[in-house]
Amino acid sequence: MSIPKLEFPPFHLPPEAEALRLEVRAFLKEAVPRIKTEDRFASWNTPSPEFSRELGKKGWIGITWPKQYGGSEKSFLERYVVTEELLGNGAPAGAHWVADRQSGPLLLRFGSQEQRDAILPRITAGECFFSIGMSEPDSGSDLASVRTRAEPVPGGFRVNGTKVWTSGAHRNHYCITLVRTSGQHGDRHKGLSQLLVDLKTPGVTIRPIINLAGRHDWNEVTFTDAFIPESCLIGNEGDGWLQVTSELAFERSGPERFMQNFYVLRELVRVLGRNPSGRAAAILGRLIARLWTLRQMSVAVAGMMQGGKSPAIEAALVKDLGTIYQQDLPEIARVISESDATTEDDMADFLDIAQYATMMAPSYTIQGGTTQVLRGIVARGLGLR
Amino acid sequence: MDKETRDMLLETAGRFFTERCDRAVVNNVEKGEWPADLWKEIEEMGLPLIAVPEDKGGVGGTLADMLALLRLAGEHAVPVPLAETALANLLIAAAGGEPKPGPATLALGNLKLSGGRLTGKILRVPFAGVAERFVCVVDKTLVVVGKGAAKVEATPSHAGEPYGSVTFDNATAEFSGASAVSAERAFELAAVMRAMQMAGAADRVLATAVEYSKQRVQFGKPISTFQAIQHMLAELASCVAATIASAEAASRDADEGGLADGGAFSIAAAKSQCSDFAHRISAIAHQSMGAMGFTHEHVLHHYTRRLWVWRRDFGSESFWGEKIGAAYAKAGPDALWPSLSASRYPA
Repeated sequence: MSIPKLEFPPFHLPPEAEALRLEVRAFLKEAVPRIKTEDRFASWNTPSPEFSRELGKKGWIGITWPKQYGGSEKSFLERYVVTEELLGNGAPAGAHWVADRQSGPLLLRFGSQEQRDAILPRITAGECFFSIGMSEPDSGSDLASVRTRAEPVPGGFRVNGTKVWTSGAHRNHYCITLVRTSGQHGDRHKGLSQLLVDLKTPGVTIRPIINLAGRHDWNEVTFTDAFIPESCLIGNEGDGWLQVTSELAFERSGPERFMQNFYVLRELVRVLGRNPSGRAAAILGRLIARLWTLRQMSVAVAGMMQGGKSPAIEAALVKDLGTIYQQDLPEIARVISESDATTEDDMADFLDIAQYATMMAPSYTIQGGTTQVLRGIVARGLGLR
Repeated sequence: MDKETRDMLLETAGRFFTERCDRAVVNNVEKGEWPADLWKEIEEMGLPLIAVPEDKGGVGGTLADMLALLRLAGEHAVPVPLAETALANLLIAAAGGEPKPGPATLALGNLKLSGGRLTGKILRVPFAGVAERFVCVVDKTLVVVGKGAAKVEATPSHAGEPYGSVTFDNATAEFSGASAVSAERAFELAAVMRAMQMAGAADRVLATAVEYSKQRVQFGKPISTFQAIQHMLAELASCVAATIASAEAASRDADEGGLADGGAFSIAAAKSQCSDFAHRISAIAHQSMGAMGFTHEHVLHHYTRRLWVWRRDFGSESFWGEKIGAAYAKAGPDALWPSLSASRYPA
């Protein structure tokens, strides 16, 4: 058979990563209950600048980066462990998440020395937060069709256009923005560049986009003749597509794609009590087995990345399976809790939790690449297109 | 065995299975024909002795070596009890016995041993109809009973393999010894064995469906060019990947943790996951292949029917799910993440 083998070689996180896990866990046990957030169940998109500063002090933001920028020069696998402990322990890690996951690594790889010196130490200190300026009203999955235009002018660019679904732009400091710097709208991948945009720049207007759960997380960011200095161009003019693709790989492969609503599983264990019926236990156990499998796959992908491979198809498979698991979880949990909660009060409380999780669930298979985009990537990997 | 030796053995075995386990052989087993020549050749290659130490006449491989071979056997729907015999021989050798030639199987479940004699009935014993002997673990004793001392009632599996109900009525043991594993552990080892066979079969289902989609032309082009088909096969790939990843992780944990109790939780989770996804894998593959894949003529059913049978063997997703769920519920919410991230049952 000619199709490429799908392999997820079982991988052990190394002892130093497991040692770090215990350290992180002990810190979170103390810190998480102390830090107030508006979310009862915090996650990787619950922002708390206070928490991020504390994590920065521990040296756990930008943990893989060079020491000159405040990093700890640890491995990608140690970062993996920090990430999953934040998720597993309900830490409000949303403020620094994007900067740590993709903006910082992007600047390390493609940014100028000046940009790195100015920005990276502030990220590792937990004091500088980023948004992602990719999508536009007419460019969602078809990212190459962006229209936001950065016209070269003396000393920089004049930017006009609109970005949407820009999470946290109203709180964050910078937005790495994908713009067209040359060529025409129809040129697709050519002529795109990335700009490091200070969100306080005159001509940049931020308006809330409220999601269906009534939360203000997204924004519309409008550029009206905004002047962005030349020094804020990231990498080379015209290399934006290449850069943005590498950024998306960071965005897809992490445990946040199957642990975003881990609290539902945790609360399900609580509501079923210590001695559930056989039926309830079986349903709980199957959910735990699914999550365990996703974790084995994700750790295997991390191992492949540490080994210098680029498992883009494998990462897409993990995100596809993981986000669908996250959508199934509140539904399965809701139904079993209605028949098997230990008390009526517990059940009512849990149903509210599940209801909230259900409202958030549609976003999982959309953000960071829709299910359909991911399946397109996998289909290409299978040699179908 | 080292990686090079294992790779060589797997390559040889893979070639052998491709040549000798063709469609006719698998279909004939379903008609009740025992492929004596195939079994003889498998024995000549030493495959049923893969995890038996060299000083007992075996190949000297590890549990992981054996499981890797069985994944390959699953990929070829090898219609003889290679898996059951290899595990039986491993257990016999570990209990101080000498593995004998001939197909064997595992009769695991609620049995009583009294005065060296075995009593009880086990349903759906794989290959009961052709096994020369039955290997059982009762408390801490491994008991081997010859086919003459057991009553077998044929209940062929839905994949057409000679499964059967086995009754022991004060049966005399051909061999008994102190078992290296508990009865519960023997069942776990059989579960990880099936999980690896499922991984192999799932892999073959994906390959078959992908190949078919590239060759089948409708509306003037290969159906693989239709986005609807591409997305179905991508979802199929995700379910197959999860099946393989979970089985391989459990296989590694079982091997590294030792024969007596290694990877107990991982095995439970993997067999639950593999059994859970057998439905989606079969459903998508069949849908993508239309009527052609539903015929007896096509080989797809060699794999999908085995997935449907194997998901029930040695604990379904309900069985293992309940075991996991009960243990995690008992320990409460605070133990969930520390246990899950360590691939363990809560303490």
